[in-house]
Amino acid sequence: MILVIGGRGAGKRSFVTDVLGFSPEQFAENGPVLYGLEELDPLPPLEALLGRAVVVCREVGCGVVPMDRGDRDRREAVGRLCCDLAREAEAVYRLQCGLAMRLK
Amino acid sequence: MTALVFGGAASGKSGWAEDLICTLPRTGPLIYLATMEPGGGEAAERIRRHRALRAGKGFSCTVERPRDLAGWAPPAGSAVLLEDLGNLAANELFSGGAFDPEGAYRRIRRGLDRLSEGAGHLVVVSGDLFRDGVDYPPETGAYLDLLARLHRDLAARADRVTELVCGLPVHWKGGEV
Repeated sequence: MILVIGGRGAGKRSFVTDVLGFSPEQFAENGPVLYGLEELDPLPPLEALLGRAVVVCREVGCGVVPMDRGDRDRREAVGRLCCDLAREAEAVYRLQCGLAMRLK
Repeated sequence: MTALVFGGAASGKSGWAEDLICTLPRTGPLIYLATMEPGGGEAAERIRRHRALRAGKGFSCTVERPRDLAGWAPPAGSAVLLEDLGNLAANELFSGGAFDPEGAYRRIRRGLDRLSEGAGHLVVVSGDLFRDGVDYPPETGAYLDLLARLHRDLAARADRVTELVCGLPVHWKGGEV
């Protein structure tokens, strides 16, 4: 499993198609590419994600602590899940400005 | 050469970008291209801080361009430091006529193209606003999307792309690796 992270508009989708070589059709609910992990509610368990070829998640942790308890819990869960994913991943890429940096 | 220097608030990106542009060989003037609307107290304070930071670094002049970037032609052989792209995008998107993100994109893109073609060197400073996970109102979302698109455009054709973290450079493209 390859983990791809980056902020809003960082170019994650293009990286998965243009560099990793997946087609847009493979961005499907049960396809090889899971795009937008941060939007899934509830978040899938780690084991369910390890079978994917690529997991793409937006970085959501670099802001002011949310006022709402639910938003706080959510942000925490997304961050922790990404840490777990990164530990298991064969490669981790971070996107900024459309450029990729391999962190692992 | 063209360079994009980005980072969070107070990450040291201005100072680093200034040092970078001062080291580049040039045959024309060194120009600071300011995009901030010279407004009241806080803007004035920021402008003062940046002027002090630049003092003695050899800048020939400051050109104020809060919008209509394409309306200014850089002198041949000049080195231009544009600070910053986020302000320019906000001014183009939110002040003036109808709310038109695509129009704002085209105007800024045209200006950037003109700068990178006309000047000897262009260094663009911009903010990293994209990783807080907050769902903003549509207008703010459109602003973020506009700025992110400009970042991707610039990064794709830039010779150097550098992120500043606590004053330290992280080289995404070009520079030392």
